[in-house]
Amino acid sequence: MSWLVVARKDFEDSIRSRWLVGLTALFVLLLTAFAYIVRPEPGETASANAVLQLSGDLFIGTLVPLIALVIAYNAITGERKSGSLKLLLSLPHSRADVVFGKVAGRSAALSTAIIVGFILPAVILAVGPFTLEMGAYLGYTLLVALLASVFVAIAVGWSAAAPSQRIALGGAIGLYFLFVPFWGAIQFRLQLALASLPDWFPLGAETAGNLLWLSNPSSAYQGLSGAVLSGQFLSGEAADLQLAAISMLLFWLLAAPLVGLLLFERRDL
Amino acid sequence: MPAIKLSNVTKRYGDITAVRDIDLTVESGEIYGFLGPNGAGKSTTINMLLDFVRPTEGTVEVLGQSVADAGVSIRERTGVLPEGFDVYSRLSGRKHIEFAIDSKKAADDPDEILSRVGLSEAADRNAGGYSKGMRQRLALGMALVDEPELLILDEPSSGLDPGGAKEMRDIVTAEADRGATVFFSSHVLGQVEAVCDRVGILHEGELVVEDSMEGLRTSADSEETLILTVSGATDDDLDAVRALEGVSGAAIDGTVVTVACESATKTTVISTLGEAGIEILDIETDSTSLEELFLSYTEGEGTVGETAPTAEQTEPDKTAKPPEGAQ
Repeated sequence: MSWLVVARKDFEDSIRSRWLVGLTALFVLLLTAFAYIVRPEPGETASANAVLQLSGDLFIGTLVPLIALVIAYNAITGERKSGSLKLLLSLPHSRADVVFGKVAGRSAALSTAIIVGFILPAVILAVGPFTLEMGAYLGYTLLVALLASVFVAIAVGWSAAAPSQRIALGGAIGLYFLFVPFWGAIQFRLQLALASLPDWFPLGAETAGNLLWLSNPSSAYQGLSGAVLSGQFLSGEAADLQLAAISMLLFWLLAAPLVGLLLFERRDL
Repeated sequence: MPAIKLSNVTKRYGDITAVRDIDLTVESGEIYGFLGPNGAGKSTTINMLLDFVRPTEGTVEVLGQSVADAGVSIRERTGVLPEGFDVYSRLSGRKHIEFAIDSKKAADDPDEILSRVGLSEAADRNAGGYSKGMRQRLALGMALVDEPELLILDEPSSGLDPGGAKEMRDIVTAEADRGATVFFSSHVLGQVEAVCDRVGILHEGELVVEDSMEGLRTSADSEETLILTVSGATDDDLDAVRALEGVSGAAIDGTVVTVACESATKTTVISTLGEAGIEILDIETDSTSLEELFLSYTEGEGTVGETAPTAEQTEPDKTAKPPEGAQ
């Protein structure tokens, strides 16, 4: 389990970064601010889920992918440039151990920031006029951590594939714009095309449209978060769609680093 | 079983050939010095041993296995000090050693290794604050973890002061005494001379000499340097001298002509200059040092006479040369 050793080192290295402390504080601040915005009238109580719902609509789906891409785009190219990758690969680790170890270590570090950054405000909410549904709150926090991990995996995969730091950065910015601001427009275009599918196409227009929607990890997350907050996680009509969303997130988690690895394997350091 | 075996290895980057058709074998248990000036292709060769870089042609075997197929299992048995590496600046020296221990599934005591490489005091400081020499010591410590069968050290003395270079050599010797094979590179002969059993000299990507240390000394002993004070000679006049058999180099600096040649060729050199109409005012001879011999292999077109000053100007590690390593 050589990748675990790499992951642990990368985690220990990442949590010592000031960035991560800053991110944790940012999550605490944002959630507390949203709690203030949706605070109930004096004497009444509101559900903490409302805070999460609002934060989800406003910043999680856009900010978390950005943060993940920023902290991970340099995971491999940065080490290649500085030379610490030579130290790493002088030890008995394969390049696959390095790529998957980096995904695991950096995801774990960012997830730590997310979990701490969400749990601290939960205490504030519980003390204040909010009712806390522990299951939904924890589930939602873990879902955000999963979303972050998926984007970390995409960024590390890209970092392994990129021949230089500049291309790694450019690619990370491109991926962000593709998945976050531009996705709606792209999806709309493709959806129009789907409306007139030829007969031989194996999927119906609705299924194809759903797949298209889910293929963006941000949308998959949004679908799931709604279900978690409304207490319909993996139940109700949309259970199949939710399973598909989870599968899609797991697919990205593995496929992106794997593709990056294939290119990284052939490259001279 | 040889510890390292390179067969017909060539590495090209686009049009540039970094390493050309190298055949090199390091036997198990020996200390092999891989010498050559900066840019000769030493690191490229070592990077191919480590599978950091893939050869364009040829095969590389380490500890009897192909590096292309068995990189991880080779590195489980090898300790590596790479060139151009960097440390993890946020992690302490101790963490680095612990990481190497975990990676090799070894049972070493980190403190013991840290003290061996002289980092006990700095063990708990972040490696980002380490000097070049301390980083070099740290990487050596990581290489020593788990008593590897083979140590591959790329320019291990760079960044070390003379005392540090001496400690480095002592560690190399101690590891060899334990039974390890050591392969290390340097651009300074003095680093290699005192400890190596065998030496390979790389020049412009080609292995120009491979000999035992003893063999090299014998060739150095049979060489002499002729120092002539002349009048009216130009560099062009020396071409006839350079063409002589037994002359490995000739150079001119003002009125001083320096010729490195076999002892038996001295008189021919002098008469050749006389025939060219050059007046010889004074003749001195000097025996060639191993250093001069090394430089004559690696400086191309016979500029032996200029080697001594050049060496001082261009080799930052010259100061690291130990007194006992000098002739």
